[in-house]
Amino acid sequence: MTATTEAQAGTGLLRPQTGRIRRAAARVLLSDHFVLWLSLGYFLVLLPFLPTLGTPANLANLLSNAWPLLVVALGQTFVMTAGGIDLSQGAVIGLTSTVAAALIATAAPPEVLGRAPIWGTLIAEEGGIFAGQVWVGILAMLAVGALVGLVNGTLVALLRMPPFMVTLVAMMTVSAFAIWLTQSENIRNLPEGYVQLGKGQIVSVYFGPQDRPEIPRRELHAVIGQAALIAVALTLALHWLLERTAFGRQVVAVGANRRAAEIAGVPVRRVIVLVFVLSALCATVGAILYSARLEAGRPTLGEGTFLLDVIGATVIGGTSLFGGKGKILWTVWGVLFFVLLSNTLNMMNLSAFHIDMVKGAVILAAALLDVARNRLARSTG
Amino acid sequence: MTIRTMLLGTAGAAFALALAAPAAQAATICFAFQDLETEFWVAGHQAITETLTEAGHTVIERNAQEDANRQLEQVRDCIAQGVDGIILIPQDGESATTIVAEAQDNDVPIAVFNRPPSDLSRGIVVVADNEEIARQAVEFVAAEALEQIPDRPIQSLILVGNLGDPNAVGRRDGFYAALEPHGDRFATPIEVATQWDAATALANLEAAVTANPQIDLIFTSSDFLFPTIRSVLEPRGMWVPRGEDGHILMAGLDGDATACQLIKDGYVDATGVQDLYFEAESAMNAILAAIEAGETQPNEVIEDPGFALTSENIGEREMDMWGCVLLAEGFLER
Repeated sequence: MTATTEAQAGTGLLRPQTGRIRRAAARVLLSDHFVLWLSLGYFLVLLPFLPTLGTPANLANLLSNAWPLLVVALGQTFVMTAGGIDLSQGAVIGLTSTVAAALIATAAPPEVLGRAPIWGTLIAEEGGIFAGQVWVGILAMLAVGALVGLVNGTLVALLRMPPFMVTLVAMMTVSAFAIWLTQSENIRNLPEGYVQLGKGQIVSVYFGPQDRPEIPRRELHAVIGQAALIAVALTLALHWLLERTAFGRQVVAVGANRRAAEIAGVPVRRVIVLVFVLSALCATVGAILYSARLEAGRPTLGEGTFLLDVIGATVIGGTSLFGGKGKILWTVWGVLFFVLLSNTLNMMNLSAFHIDMVKGAVILAAALLDVARNRLARSTG
Repeated sequence: MTIRTMLLGTAGAAFALALAAPAAQAATICFAFQDLETEFWVAGHQAITETLTEAGHTVIERNAQEDANRQLEQVRDCIAQGVDGIILIPQDGESATTIVAEAQDNDVPIAVFNRPPSDLSRGIVVVADNEEIARQAVEFVAAEALEQIPDRPIQSLILVGNLGDPNAVGRRDGFYAALEPHGDRFATPIEVATQWDAATALANLEAAVTANPQIDLIFTSSDFLFPTIRSVLEPRGMWVPRGEDGHILMAGLDGDATACQLIKDGYVDATGVQDLYFEAESAMNAILAAIEAGETQPNEVIEDPGFALTSENIGEREMDMWGCVLLAEGFLER
């Protein structure tokens, strides 16, 4: 009898503590910055085992790899928040990088591109028809990207076709078209001004002694480059659009419940078309950064496991695969975590196959976490 | 001493010691390759990693899975990790140029194995003379064709690689250079795009053979496509050995074990041979020498002259071809 009473009293004492732990766990899990804390924890746990992880060179590398992926993932965030998915982003990257390169390249080898259908019309030995005119190339890229997004969005919004199917078909056709344009050849000789958009450095830091006559290039670490400026500016603009405008609230409403949004007077079709256009435009900006740093327009750019990275980073950040829930800040943390994950897996000297398996497992874990967070959010009201 | 001897199992340890000798300290080498799709790349990868490891060096491997952007990021990661040198098998000539510049700008010596950058002026570049090797192989089958078909234009077909890869361009040029002296005796060749991809090659070759059932000579820009060619020709009764009616003269390039077996079986008549072991050894020696000398931006082009192994000279030169060496070791039975 006494023992039972003590046990009951003990349980009674434990209940408030368990409740507090649960509430604390819920606060962390539901926090906007959950993935940031996760990334920091992951970084700190691995740092003693992978000392290179914290070196300035590696941190600069991490940032440099994050910018283009972030730009593409921002567009995916809008589509997913509106309850869709855009599988055509990689193909848009391939096509737009090829179109820009064809227009603005300053020279082209006939032995490589002579058999391409665009040879003699868009590009010839002396370069593209707008050789050296960077802004013309960028505007053309944006126009082509927007067109693909417009077609995707129109098919999804007006014909009520599933986004998965529409963008899968777009991925196949756009990619094949890009490959056909150059017969799968890459276009080099991009103008220096274009290349600098991906590689140009604005602020670099050096941590060595100050008495050296010449600092080795290897010890200069880029902190802010042109790619960083473009990515940060786009992130801020899209954060404002999603968080602070009526359009942003409409995107969330459409993703949460399309029928309810229609009844509430949200212009659902227009919102859907616009998010797909936005997604394609983000992919196009990503194409600028990727092709500039590779110094070539490539029809196959964005193929392979690239989409895994984009969707993975977006979902890990917390944007729901089911729509109605997404934030730009979440995607920033998701990209940070994903790039950190790739970087550390590389440093562990795992094979490419293992790296992709781990990445897949992490995306699955993120999707499960998304389900858990949704349940938790509902239970906590 | 060569890697060939080591792989033959006769003097592996001695070679490893010899390779280690010029380097006073063990080096950390980043080996970034685009993928391991063909026998050539598998054998090259094995030769480089095993030899460097056995010589006491640390090899950090990075597989880009045919993604040029991923390869650039992997090389940057390697540089951040502080590697002493990089051996690169790039996705294509364009990305190779960018990656070589990235490594050299960061004062890390880099050697490009077999697939050369578009710009040969930077980096250690080990490359086969693809045009010459292809010309030799095609000349052999062209001469046979001229002898066997005196009364009508000869129809040839070439499976072209990804023309963003200078190796593919050189091989196509070699093919045309071999046919050019014979003028009208050869009809306009049929070009089949493969993009170095077996599935693409299969689809395009099916279409080409259906449209042109009378083909007298086939040149594949890489030996790894012979099984694909067989799968297209065999159901049509066009996969016939030498000496029998309907034999299509066939040549390739690489010198892999499958090609060696097919020459022995009579289905293939010639293949251009890249000296894989010479190339691997040259890349490793050059990068280790640069590290030892403290050279951060070594620039050098090392050319592999190669040769053509044909149904005529296989008796004498069989063991000069890396694929025949692997075949003798039972590679195809593994």
